[in-house]
Amino acid sequence: MLKVEDIQLSFGGVRALQGVSFEAAHGEITGIIGPNGAGKTSLFNVISGFYKPDTGTVTVEGQDISGLKPDARAALGIARTFQNIALFRGMTVLDNIKLGCHTRLNANVWSALGYFGSAQKEELELRRDLEERVIDFLEIDHVRKAPITALPYGLQKRVELGRALAMKPKILLLDEPVAGMNREETADMARFILDVQEQFGTTILLVEHDMHMVMDICSRVVVLNFGQQIAQGTPQEVAQSKEVIDAYLGQAA
Amino acid sequence: MGQFLQFAINGLMAGAIYALIALGIVAIYKATRVVNFAHGYVIMIGAYLYYTFAVILPSAPWFPDLLFQPDWLVEAKSKAQMFSPEAAWLAWLEKLPRIIFGLICAIIGSSILARLIERFLMRPLLGQSNFAMIMITVGLISVLSGAKSMIWTGDAASVPHLAPNPALRFEVFGSKIFIFGANLVSMGLALVIFAAIVIWLRRSTSGVAMRAASEDQSTAYSMGISVPRVFANAWVLAAATGAIAGAILAARDGVSPALGLFGFSVLAIVLMGGLDSFVGVFISAMAVGILEALAQWQLGGDWVEITPYVAVLIVILIRPHGLLGQKEIERI
Amino acid sequence: MINGNLKATYAADEKIVDNRYKFSFVWGLAVLAALLPIFANDYVILVACQVGIMVVAVVGLNVLTGYTGLMSLGHAAFVAIGAYGVTILHHAASALSIPEGIQPFLTIPGAMALAAVIGLIVGLPSLRVKGVYLAVATLSANFIIIFLIELDALAPWTGGKTGLTTVDPSIFGWVLDTQREVFILIAVMAFSTVLLVQNLFRTRVGRAFIAIRERDYSAEILGISLLRYKLTSFAISAACCGLAGALMAYFYARVLPEQFELLLSLQLVAALIVGGMGRTMGPVFGVLVIVLSPELLKVILSAIAGDSIEAAQFRAPLQEIIFGLLIIGFIMFEPLGMTQISDRVFRALNRWPFARG
Repeated sequence: MLKVEDIQLSFGGVRALQGVSFEAAHGEITGIIGPNGAGKTSLFNVISGFYKPDTGTVTVEGQDISGLKPDARAALGIARTFQNIALFRGMTVLDNIKLGCHTRLNANVWSALGYFGSAQKEELELRRDLEERVIDFLEIDHVRKAPITALPYGLQKRVELGRALAMKPKILLLDEPVAGMNREETADMARFILDVQEQFGTTILLVEHDMHMVMDICSRVVVLNFGQQIAQGTPQEVAQSKEVIDAYLGQAA
Repeated sequence: MGQFLQFAINGLMAGAIYALIALGIVAIYKATRVVNFAHGYVIMIGAYLYYTFAVILPSAPWFPDLLFQPDWLVEAKSKAQMFSPEAAWLAWLEKLPRIIFGLICAIIGSSILARLIERFLMRPLLGQSNFAMIMITVGLISVLSGAKSMIWTGDAASVPHLAPNPALRFEVFGSKIFIFGANLVSMGLALVIFAAIVIWLRRSTSGVAMRAASEDQSTAYSMGISVPRVFANAWVLAAATGAIAGAILAARDGVSPALGLFGFSVLAIVLMGGLDSFVGVFISAMAVGILEALAQWQLGGDWVEITPYVAVLIVILIRPHGLLGQKEIERI
Repeated sequence: MINGNLKATYAADEKIVDNRYKFSFVWGLAVLAALLPIFANDYVILVACQVGIMVVAVVGLNVLTGYTGLMSLGHAAFVAIGAYGVTILHHAASALSIPEGIQPFLTIPGAMALAAVIGLIVGLPSLRVKGVYLAVATLSANFIIIFLIELDALAPWTGGKTGLTTVDPSIFGWVLDTQREVFILIAVMAFSTVLLVQNLFRTRVGRAFIAIRERDYSAEILGISLLRYKLTSFAISAACCGLAGALMAYFYARVLPEQFELLLSLQLVAALIVGGMGRTMGPVFGVLVIVLSPELLKVILSAIAGDSIEAAQFRAPLQEIIFGLLIIGFIMFEPLGMTQISDRVFRALNRWPFARG
């Protein structure tokens, strides 16, 4: 489904990614783990198109998307959430989620200026679709008209997931979806992620520090350390890999 | 070639003044991350203060006339030929007390104005968005320009040069060059002040404090740096250098409200060089000075007024953060 | 906060004028505007025309600065292009012997399109720079465009520094040669501009603008092309200002380059800040304050000092100071502008008599 091949990325002298290659299988949750500064978020930025890698390709369903800009990749069905929530803070929850559907709508400046007509029809259709598919699904109907700034952190994370879901993505990149959450909120989020996978069959890529969650919900795990890919496999295989244990616990003398 | 050289020298002399004004904008930006759109108007006030204390006040009957008039000077002056270098020197010497008094008062007055602006308009917004602070300086444009018209109702007037102003003629590579002495001295003065302040900011603890405050206000604060004091210093520095530049400009072009508009071309120069780079701003100030002189030579005087704007648009399109400006990297 | 949500359809929930206070406010304004040409005296009409023209321009600026978050200090240039464009196009249309009665239907859109095209060009730096860099770029563009208008080489078309005599528009033979008649055109245009632009923000186009303002990389990740929408925003914004310019040309007997200098750009920005950025009614409230405060000052000063020359000399600078203080005061004490105040009023009305505030 999503294939990353031999990605090399450097900032000046710092080699952030050195030859990362893996494939995320269709409809599965692939975890990407590694200590801080391992290059996980950089990898996401490469996949979503913010960083241009020095070498290597990103392919989606056999199509090479390495040359595309972020908005064009979004149109192909790659959605993402950010480590430090990147919602539009001045807008309401509903507007944020509506923005997720941008690429699926057709209104242009002329029909928008007129509004009553095709644009209104489209908007109402969109509203119904979002209410049923996203807002009910994520249980955020009570805050749909609230401004983002008024929401607690955990709920903001959920809204960001909602905005990504509104895109009807084929591939969903989640950057630390439960960072900073308490146990209960983490459990909720894990449940939503599993529900997304189950109901929509979305391919999910997950960067996370919460090892319990990664081990529980991922079917495959890729481990990065200082930009290098040091292991990949099922959670059990990875947990027993010597390199991984060294990376996390420090090398035994 | 001779003409080119003449215009290039004129350009460099104008460029040095640009650099001196730009210094103030960059200093405020470096310390506070605010781009002062009203800097030209602060300079205009500085120029009018110089005019007040060097011309209006000494001419008032109840005020000492502040002229240096020993007998030998009066005698020499009456003998000196009109428009001769001696006459220029003597005229300057006669007015020297006025010039010094005017300049000092202008610097003090501008500094007080800057402190007031910083204390009552900028500091309450500490920690707010940059947009708000920039818009405050935009509002300040109107306030300062209105205040100027209310206090100084007269039309454009002339003020004494800071330096003697003999016309100098000499030959370089067989071509005749003609410059005014005051312009040459002003260029020197501007360059010395610019260099001194840049070096001071690099070396001194105040300079380091300023850089720290610009990087991260709250961290600097918690490290024991008094951020408000740093901000006040930056504003005073900008206003003081601005007052000197204002006095130079007022002597060159006459005191008029047009000095405020002049500030916008300096703003263009600053962005062209890169907001946070003294070196970049210096280069672009000199470059624009020369370009203006060339525009005047080849296209006519009208084109001078838009040269900085055309230049900044071209540079921004090619290098969005100016010649030597640092791109702010956004963490995603 | 509204007490309970009793809406039964999504259409009802998507409405903008969603309570009777807003409803009566909007219709009250419309009725007032409709009655003005019948009852008001010439002075009121004059002021109302200025308000209408400014509203159209500030709505345009609001699209760019308020909603898309791109700061511009050069929008007077687009007003200039509209004013000059419509006048020049009228002359061209007459030269092509297009009947006068239908000329405005060609010249107004023509002037708006011209402004939009220039807007696209001026907007180009916005693709690479933000914030103050863009503010200076637009400021520069303003200086350059006014310079070109004044340029001797273009004087055969633009009239150089002496400006152009404008045309009285004729709509199917109805010649708008009094200010009262022009006011009707201005009012219709102002109301439609506010409405149409408001509609923009009920759809994906407007939402994309706001997304760019809030967080541009996040907008990109949702498939919003920054290139396309920033330029679209510039074009719409410039077109509105072009329309304002066209109305200005119809309203005044002459257009002069100095009408469109920095002062006008600052007035537009000031009106937007005072009114409230990124809000539908922001431009309306802001323009009312910015246009009415000098008039009010005039009244107060003449009450205090009579019609002496000193008072008149005093007035212009005082106006300028008040104008600057309005910007500063609103940023410091009411950064969301008049709309914030009106929100409070509407909220209080909505809760009354059960709760206050």
